[in-house]
Amino acid sequence: MGTRILAVEDDERIRSAVKLALEDEGWIVDEAESGEIAIELFAQTTPDVVLIDIMLPGIDGFELCRTIRRTSDVPVVMVTARNDTHDIVAGLEAGADDYLTKPFAAKELSARIRALLRRIRPSAQGHVRLSFGDLELIPEEGKVLRNGTEVHLTKTEFRLLCELAESPGKVFSRESLLDKVWGYDYFGDGRLVDVHVRRLRTKVEIDPANPRHVVTVRGLGYRLQT
Amino acid sequence: MTETAAPDLAADLPTAGTDDRLPWYRRIFGPLARSPLGLRRRILLIFTLGAVGLSAFLAFTTYTLTQSNVVQQRDDAAVDSARRNAQIVQSILRGEPQSSQTAKVALEDLGVQRPLIWYDQEFSVGNGQYQKEALPQVLVDRVINDAVPARMIVAVDGELNVVVGWPLPNQSAYFEFSSLNEVENTLDSVRLSLLLGGLITTLLGVAVGTFAAGRAVRPVGVAAQAAKAIAGGRLDTRLEPTEDPDLSVLATSFNDMAAALQQRVERDARFASDVSHELRSPLMTLAASVEVMEARRDEMPERAQAALDLLHGDVTRFQGLVEDLLEISRFDAGAIRLNLEELLAAEFVRQAIAVSSLPESKVTVSERAEMVIIRGDRRRLARVVANLIDNARLHGGSTQPDVSIKEINPPDEPVSHIHIAVEDHGPGVPVDERHLVFERFARGGSAGRRMSSDGAGLGLSLADEHVRMHGGRVWVEDRSDGEPGARFVIELAAVEIDE
Repeated sequence: MGTRILAVEDDERIRSAVKLALEDEGWIVDEAESGEIAIELFAQTTPDVVLIDIMLPGIDGFELCRTIRRTSDVPVVMVTARNDTHDIVAGLEAGADDYLTKPFAAKELSARIRALLRRIRPSAQGHVRLSFGDLELIPEEGKVLRNGTEVHLTKTEFRLLCELAESPGKVFSRESLLDKVWGYDYFGDGRLVDVHVRRLRTKVEIDPANPRHVVTVRGLGYRLQT
Repeated sequence: MTETAAPDLAADLPTAGTDDRLPWYRRIFGPLARSPLGLRRRILLIFTLGAVGLSAFLAFTTYTLTQSNVVQQRDDAAVDSARRNAQIVQSILRGEPQSSQTAKVALEDLGVQRPLIWYDQEFSVGNGQYQKEALPQVLVDRVINDAVPARMIVAVDGELNVVVGWPLPNQSAYFEFSSLNEVENTLDSVRLSLLLGGLITTLLGVAVGTFAAGRAVRPVGVAAQAAKAIAGGRLDTRLEPTEDPDLSVLATSFNDMAAALQQRVERDARFASDVSHELRSPLMTLAASVEVMEARRDEMPERAQAALDLLHGDVTRFQGLVEDLLEISRFDAGAIRLNLEELLAAEFVRQAIAVSSLPESKVTVSERAEMVIIRGDRRRLARVVANLIDNARLHGGSTQPDVSIKEINPPDEPVSHIHIAVEDHGPGVPVDERHLVFERFARGGSAGRRMSSDGAGLGLSLADEHVRMHGGRVWVEDRSDGEPGARFVIELAAVEIDE
């Protein structure tokens, strides 16, 4: 029962080379050369991770990501050839959990995927349910309830919320969140955290523009206010 | 065979543009004008000279006219008065007794002050000072001998007088002196006011000239500022359109030039950017394929292993080059946006070294520099540090470089800047090449050697651009301990953390 990756890339040579390298790393790789084919394969193969190149013919990578997000919270990694801010932020806002710039090393991608698939570590006291405002956090089930109804968060959004909830009121810097949630070192991209906080707010806050729970502490980071 | 001298072709060609003759003000002022006069000064000079010339001309003309007028008037008055008095003398002399004394008394009664009467071959003097010695001989001859009335201007005891002579019957003559004092005083005050007026006019001229010069030169200043802005990278700078027909030529052609330049630069930057992006795709394939081969390296025969190593090395180098090219093209297009954060300097440098090509390099931090914050884009600055480390690895001899962080300020002053230094044990950089090493693709001498082996020579120029974007500087100097080797220094603004 290996981990399945769905790799969506239109360049044939890149597709073949990446598949080879990833299979060496121990992943099972299904290929799709366009967004349309990817949607079909997604339903058929139920991958554990989806790798999407932004530049696709037909449906572009952002659109594909949004489509997948409508029905699934599977980890998505965007692959960009341009590391322009616009592309990165657009990819993250479309629902991606992380991004990589071409050319990347398969080892690097593997590290990213492993970080995204990590199970939430149980805290010292075991899993604790946490209630604040209209939200209820159930870490061992991976669920968040809002006024009793489940809120659909991606795995990464959920992990982010759990990390903040680990010590409510404590300020977490972007660096530490990048490390705990994404497994990045000192040079991780802070935009990952920023966009994910934005996404989290749209899902759990009554007024995302004036957050009551996931609060920014200027110059320092973020904290969970209960 | 006779040799004919080659014709001097150059002599026939007109020299393009250069005029061997000196500009006009140089010719006038000659050796006095040591440096070329600016446009503003020339305009001011013209205004001043004009004001001086005009007011001088005006003053001179006015004075001359006034003078002749006033003198003429006095003259006429004197002649008139003398004539009347002569008639009186004449009539008195006809009466009894015929003596000049009577006439003198009569004149005195009339209030004539300076008469002289020639009667009976002798002078009768009315006023002590005005004796016959004061009469010019020429005048005497004319009046007495030629019996013709005449006048002359003489100075008596320092005072100017008009002396008029009227011949009388019986070989007599009447002479009268009239003081020109009043005239002189009048002329004096006229001269003074004209001088004053001239001075004021000149000063006004200078003031107007300064103003005019300033106004005339302003468009030049504006154009110069615009040119400076463009040179500094703000390629969209343009001059405002003006209604002035003389200046609109300048504005239009300047704007055309700026637009063409901007297009050029943007096109070049886009080209470099597009090419680099295109290169990333085949590089992806190459990188992934090399990775697959690396995983099976042990299964390969020796020659294949060697080939794989070369391939791997160059693919890595190629990747670095593409990234550098992309970053440089972003600089050229002015498209870099720094992601500024506050970073603990010491922590940052240690992390940057840890991900560089020589992670074991020793980092020494001064006590104060441990507590210092810098503001920077952490990934870009890390690249700068990595570039310096790469440089040290390639050209700095076989030993690890020494990295140090130190504040530049003395102990009693707050920290304003820090120096991050990377010192190697290589041959160092000769003084005349220290500028060159930071240029793109620099070649020549040891700069060439530094550049050509790895990284295609963009690393240091990127480091320079990045550091400058952060408001700092980077340079190379000798090692601080005097040993052979290069010391690359990054200077950045920093603040101490206050507890």
